[in-house]
Amino acid sequence: MLGLPSATAWVVIGFPVFWLVYTIIFLIVSRGWKKEAGDKEVEE
Amino acid sequence: MSPIVLIFLVLYYAIVVGIGFWAVRKGGAKNMEGYLLGGRQVGPLVTALTLQSTSMSGYMFLGAGSAGYTTGYWAIWYAAGDIGGGVVNLSIIGRRMRKVSKIMGSLTSIEYLENRYPHAATRLIAGILSVFFLYFYVLAQFIAGGKGMALVTGLPYWAALTIAVVIIMIYTFLGGYFAVAYTDFFQSLVMVIGVVWILTAALSAVGGWTEANAKLAEIDPTYLSIWGKDLQYQGQWGEVAGAVLIFSVGYMGWPHVVTRHLAMTNPQTARMAGLYSTLWNLLFVTSPYIVGILAILILPELDDPEMAIFSVAGKLLPGAVTGIVMAAIMAAIMSTADSILLQVGTIASRDIFYRFIKPDASDKHMVWVSRILILVMGAIGFVIALLQPPGVFDIVVFTTSVLGSAFLPSYVCAVWWKKANTPGAIASMVGGALTAFFWESIGLASATATHPMLAGLVISFILIIVVSLATQKSSPVKEHIIKTMDEAAKLGPIPKGMIASMDTNLTSESKGVSDSLNGDK
Repeated sequence: MLGLPSATAWVVIGFPVFWLVYTIIFLIVSRGWKKEAGDKEVEE
Repeated sequence: MSPIVLIFLVLYYAIVVGIGFWAVRKGGAKNMEGYLLGGRQVGPLVTALTLQSTSMSGYMFLGAGSAGYTTGYWAIWYAAGDIGGGVVNLSIIGRRMRKVSKIMGSLTSIEYLENRYPHAATRLIAGILSVFFLYFYVLAQFIAGGKGMALVTGLPYWAALTIAVVIIMIYTFLGGYFAVAYTDFFQSLVMVIGVVWILTAALSAVGGWTEANAKLAEIDPTYLSIWGKDLQYQGQWGEVAGAVLIFSVGYMGWPHVVTRHLAMTNPQTARMAGLYSTLWNLLFVTSPYIVGILAILILPELDDPEMAIFSVAGKLLPGAVTGIVMAAIMAAIMSTADSILLQVGTIASRDIFYRFIKPDASDKHMVWVSRILILVMGAIGFVIALLQPPGVFDIVVFTTSVLGSAFLPSYVCAVWWKKANTPGAIASMVGGALTAFFWESIGLASATATHPMLAGLVISFILIIVVSLATQKSSPVKEHIIKTMDEAAKLGPIPKGMIASMDTNLTSESKGVSDSLNGDK
């Protein structure tokens, strides 16, 4: 791919894909964090 | 220098300074929390981009280009970790650190460490380590600015360095986190535009990416290898791990970067900031390394590899676009230099001078201590950069390794491990810093084929775990800290009674900025 050896191509393409997947999983796992948004941060 | 380039540069500086004044007047310097943390009112987009632009620095335009030019695709290991640096930082410690700092009333990242690991030695050691190594980092920005200005303007290095340092120093005097965060936001956009533009021009000049790789293989096929030119790192997984870790997890140990967590509007800001960080990194991070690699074809006889990106811009781009790219490069340098100078000034004056030397210092006294410290540090940095400028890549990798090794375990364990105590944190900071500092110089890096960052991190983590466990009886973690950590782990509002009472008086620094803006001085 791209004229690169396969190991290099895996690093060049694979790591961005990995971090994108990590970010999506983080967004899903952290859905509950909305409970701490805005004026909900400190109890009245 | 082309008049068009000059116009773009002047326009860029005018906008940055304008944003700085707007942000300070908007409320950045109303009180202590306002000055140091922007009143904890920084939203996810600005949080993400100030975190990224502060992390990236002039290194990306000098060091990254140089690494690509000299080692080929080996340099991509650094980018591979860097893309995830923001989201790793925000997802692992962002939310909890924001919450713990709010409960404990911590206003600086060093004060936060003392609150979590209560002892004067924590603050003294962390403060000295931060000031010393962050200062080296500022030095790298000075050199980057001087070299860049010299190439674009045609001025001798000493004159270009003087201009670059004076601009950075004046800009820093605006002060205040709010100003820094919003100028960083603008600068991060300029950085992306600049780097994408130059990458596009470079790819076009070499006939596309695939064609470029074929030409590189004709010169030396090892340029395409993930083990570096001449396969110099073949099989050295310790070096690979260090290169990936340094910019992926390493940022969690940088005091001026984790300060961004303290300043978020609320804990959940970390969530969307993580997404924005990744998107920005996907656009920006790999590009400078690739341009450096393409420069092997475009400028095969380059004397100074750190000039690879500047030289490619000068050769391929028309005057107006060169101006934008030059502005992007200065943006990368300034967005880091201002944050670090603000941080170094704050740590030196508030965390060391005010805390240990003169607790009864007046506001006016503190203003001048802070300013004089910044001026002295700037002057010494200028002389070093002028007489014997070290390589930007070397400085950045060195300081990142030492800071990451020193602080990362302490910041991570501060929110995730209730048994982490003061002796453990101090042992970890000292041991990690010393390991990373001496690893290269005593020959262990080459003997073990292990990156100083990896060695420092391993030692630092071992020390915080072993020493904390060994001293649980003599130095138990205080009850209020355990309660704070329990509260940080929960999702939901903080009970009002848990928030520490905070001094809302004007800090000396913020008062100084306000006075200056109001013409009182």
